[in-house]
Amino acid sequence: MFISIAYFFQIILLQSVENPTSYQAEKINKLFNYFNIAAACMLLLVCFLVIFICIKFKEKKGDEREPKQTTGNKKIEALMIGIPALLLVWFFYQSLTTMHAVASPVPAGTEPDVIITGHQWWWEVDYPKANVVTANQVHLPVGKHLLMEMRSADVIHDWWVPELGNKMDLVPKINNYLWLDINKPGNYIGACSEFCGAQHAWMRINVIAQNENDFQNWLAQNSKDAVVPTDSVAIKGSEIFETQTCASCHRIQGTTATSNVGPDLTHLASRTELLTGLMKNNEENLYKWISHPQQVKPGAHMPDFKYEKDTVNAIVHYLSLLK
Amino acid sequence: MNQSIQIPEPASPFPGIGVSSDQGLLQWISSVDHKMIGIMYLLIALIFFLIGGAEALLMRIQLGQPVNHFLTPEAYDQIFTMHGTTMIFLVAMPAVLGFSVYFTPLMIGANEMAFPRMNSFSLWITFFGGLLLYFSFLAGGGPDAGWFNYSPLNEKNYSSSNGIDYYAMGLLLTGIGSVTTSINLIVTILHYRVKGMKLNMLPLFVWMVFVNSFLLIAAFPSLNAALAMLLLDRQFQAHFFNTANGGSALLWQHLFWIFGHPEVYIVILPPFGILSEVFPVFSRKPIFGYAFVAASSVAIALLAFGVWAHHMFAVGLGNTVDAFFSASSMLIGIPTGVKVFNWIATMYGGKIKFTVSMMFAIAFLIEFTIGGLSGIAFSIVPIDWQLTDTYYVVAHLHYVFIGGTIFGVLAGLFYWFPKMTGKMLDEKMGKWFFWLFVIGFNGTFLVQHALGMLGMPRRVFTYPDLPGYAILNLISTMGAFLMGLSVLLLVYIVYKSIKNGKAAGNDPWNGFTLEWLTTSPPPLKNFDEVPEVKSRWPLWDLKQLKEESRK
Amino acid sequence: MMKLVVGTEAMFFICLILAFIYMAYNTGFEPHDMKALDIKTTGIFTVILISSSFTFWIADKNYQKGKIKNLKIWLIITILLGATFLIGQGEEYWRLMNDKITLSSSVFGTSFYALTGFHGFHVFAGLVLLSIILVLTFFDDFNNTNSNVISTAGIYWHFVDVVWIAVFTVVYVLPQFTKY
Repeated sequence: MFISIAYFFQIILLQSVENPTSYQAEKINKLFNYFNIAAACMLLLVCFLVIFICIKFKEKKGDEREPKQTTGNKKIEALMIGIPALLLVWFFYQSLTTMHAVASPVPAGTEPDVIITGHQWWWEVDYPKANVVTANQVHLPVGKHLLMEMRSADVIHDWWVPELGNKMDLVPKINNYLWLDINKPGNYIGACSEFCGAQHAWMRINVIAQNENDFQNWLAQNSKDAVVPTDSVAIKGSEIFETQTCASCHRIQGTTATSNVGPDLTHLASRTELLTGLMKNNEENLYKWISHPQQVKPGAHMPDFKYEKDTVNAIVHYLSLLK
Repeated sequence: MNQSIQIPEPASPFPGIGVSSDQGLLQWISSVDHKMIGIMYLLIALIFFLIGGAEALLMRIQLGQPVNHFLTPEAYDQIFTMHGTTMIFLVAMPAVLGFSVYFTPLMIGANEMAFPRMNSFSLWITFFGGLLLYFSFLAGGGPDAGWFNYSPLNEKNYSSSNGIDYYAMGLLLTGIGSVTTSINLIVTILHYRVKGMKLNMLPLFVWMVFVNSFLLIAAFPSLNAALAMLLLDRQFQAHFFNTANGGSALLWQHLFWIFGHPEVYIVILPPFGILSEVFPVFSRKPIFGYAFVAASSVAIALLAFGVWAHHMFAVGLGNTVDAFFSASSMLIGIPTGVKVFNWIATMYGGKIKFTVSMMFAIAFLIEFTIGGLSGIAFSIVPIDWQLTDTYYVVAHLHYVFIGGTIFGVLAGLFYWFPKMTGKMLDEKMGKWFFWLFVIGFNGTFLVQHALGMLGMPRRVFTYPDLPGYAILNLISTMGAFLMGLSVLLLVYIVYKSIKNGKAAGNDPWNGFTLEWLTTSPPPLKNFDEVPEVKSRWPLWDLKQLKEESRK
Repeated sequence: MMKLVVGTEAMFFICLILAFIYMAYNTGFEPHDMKALDIKTTGIFTVILISSSFTFWIADKNYQKGKIKNLKIWLIITILLGATFLIGQGEEYWRLMNDKITLSSSVFGTSFYALTGFHGFHVFAGLVLLSIILVLTFFDDFNNTNSNVISTAGIYWHFVDVVWIAVFTVVYVLPQFTKY
């Protein structure tokens, strides 16, 4: 029984489940694999010893002899201390070199490529060099040595995309930094990894890594002002947006709505997901959300406004034009 | 010449001891007898174990399927907070202190603890602290920021119910109970040992309790300071942790983990002591490397205060600070490993008897090694940067808490139950319990290593339907229910054995230490006479002497 | 036993002092707040508290020599000196609060009042302990010299004094030499 449990565990350990696709992730994964091998050997050793001893030295019926009363052996103690110590020294050295490779100190005055600000329960994404502000879906260029700055608007959050490497906390009043070199384009998912309140589970992360050209195109598109509505329903929707409470929390670039209490909605229609990973972005889901936020994502800071159906339809229609 | 020492009667009887045994509950509530207090601690641990376990099962039902709606996020948050808080402060601590308080005087040949009334005070304030914590559910909601309760989430503006205030006050009370018990234990061990028992001849359980008590009184003040500051913030608008007004979110983490890390050693050292008693008795040979086992516990206690920031590697303290704590965390793994190898070496060449107690001890070796290795993974900072705050941590902590502390406590339960009650625990049913519990436990937590590596963060009330998540969570939930069932079986076994278990006699296991000298259960005055102690195995010596005088 | 109690409480004060220092360097204290502290007056009250430790020591010596009347006199003086210290603390608090420095006014206020407040509370507890002992001396409980209650209480009282020296140094004295 134990043998099977122990081996199963070792098999899991030896699978490198994370698919490293950044320089940082690869370096860490390598170290993790070394560790798994060492740990598996150690566990195997302990299991083997325990099972062997249990079989060999089991009390046999009728055996009245007293076993040899050994009280210790300094040589064996030295080995038991020495060998793990040597292993740990090696791992410590590896740890140091990996830390330096993955998280080298940020020279003072370096401007970050992206500033991520954690809010309860969404991500504000700022590209200072390009003056672009979006929310939730993070587009990043492949093959660049990116510097990400991590801030928090309220409580402690944590940025973690397993395939892209190490995580970093977002702590209020402190600016943390993460280096990121993504190897190939793709869609990478992650999650907030520091308990931040009721909807921590739905503060998912979606990184869309693109090659340089595509990224620059996306950046250019997103720096533009929001689409101006032309049909009557959409116009009604945009009026409601700006005059009723929407504008007090959400920003739509090019309008009078400039708040960052809630996510930026300038190009909402280009995002594939809503509510930081909770739902797919389509009109039906948007309708459900705006009608009854507290039913969809209870605890979120958007109250139930109890709008009329027409009002919600207008808003939804307007927002779905914002590509 | 082997002298017997008369254990003196106190000049006047302790209050509460005069209550006669047919006054039932009153005798229990008013008792200052360390044995009754020890048993009450264990009962508190058992009751809260069932409550905390129920909380765990509720969580596992919610997590059994992706995007589940069994619990609302607010409910889930309170439940997982209370589960952690209950298991550590109201299960692990009372269980460990219960055995400490019951067996320390017996193993050193004393009749009582140094401060019997304070002993009773400690018990009841611990219990009331627990009640206060649970009262929060009736007073607007339980604490909901996690058992480690990070700021600024724990501030009034992010957690507006009074739950966290109850958390703070409840833990301050239970903390007072733990600290006073430790002071009691230290004075007892220093001054009440029978003649001849030098400190380097202490039974290893007593030695672990001794070191542990120092660790406890040094670690709890940090928690007390943090909780006091939090209450000042929440109730009097102070600014320790509220970042909007200049407070520091990280100050809480430092203070909490300066307590929190020693705390985990506090709940594991006495179980290490229990195992150091169980292995020799059921291998029929003395512990291998007594001095190393004893010294390693001192090393662990000292190092425990130098590793706390390994809980904060992802917070941005900087590579130098991280490296320091990485080194110290790796270092602390060595004395622990030494112990495991010493226990294995104790079994080697012995005559092993597979009682349920011994089975838990042997299982501990493997489970705790798994937990320890996953812990070492975290000491390697870059690995921590991937795996911290994921289900890999949940797996690690349960392997060391359950595979370590609980297995040690269960080994102690099956070993010492005959002494405490005079009845044997049913070994056959005990073996069923063992296998069900071990299979359930591993089923629940082994897969969580994989979940963490796949990317599932911890403290989430639900998760998206990503590949692998659903099936692994389902296996975990099924394992949890198996564990729950086996614990119910344990309760039944204990109850049935008390009612009509086999009579135990003074020394059913042919033990080496002084508690087996007296009757089962011991009388109010533990000993009338105790032999002068000349070695680490006083009972063994006494039995040898009796053998020889017969020949 | 009292040494263990002192040990655990010492850890508690170390945490509070470290928190004070952490706040000073992390967030920083307002110069206005720091300037409001009156080192001279508090210095005098510090001397008063230290002398109460000395007077207690004299009381203890008298007790060991069996001079119970002197024990009572020096105990009373110790208690009066301790109470004077607390009154002095109260006056400092009154003055600061009138200057709008409170627990919730700033990070300095928070750290200062918590640290000195908990210390003051421990002094108060010590005074209660000493008063109980004083009352018991009047009931002739300490006519024999074979009790260790007085020396045990002494350990606590001296501890409270030592903590104050540390707090005074960190809060009042050291800032004079640093950027404040």
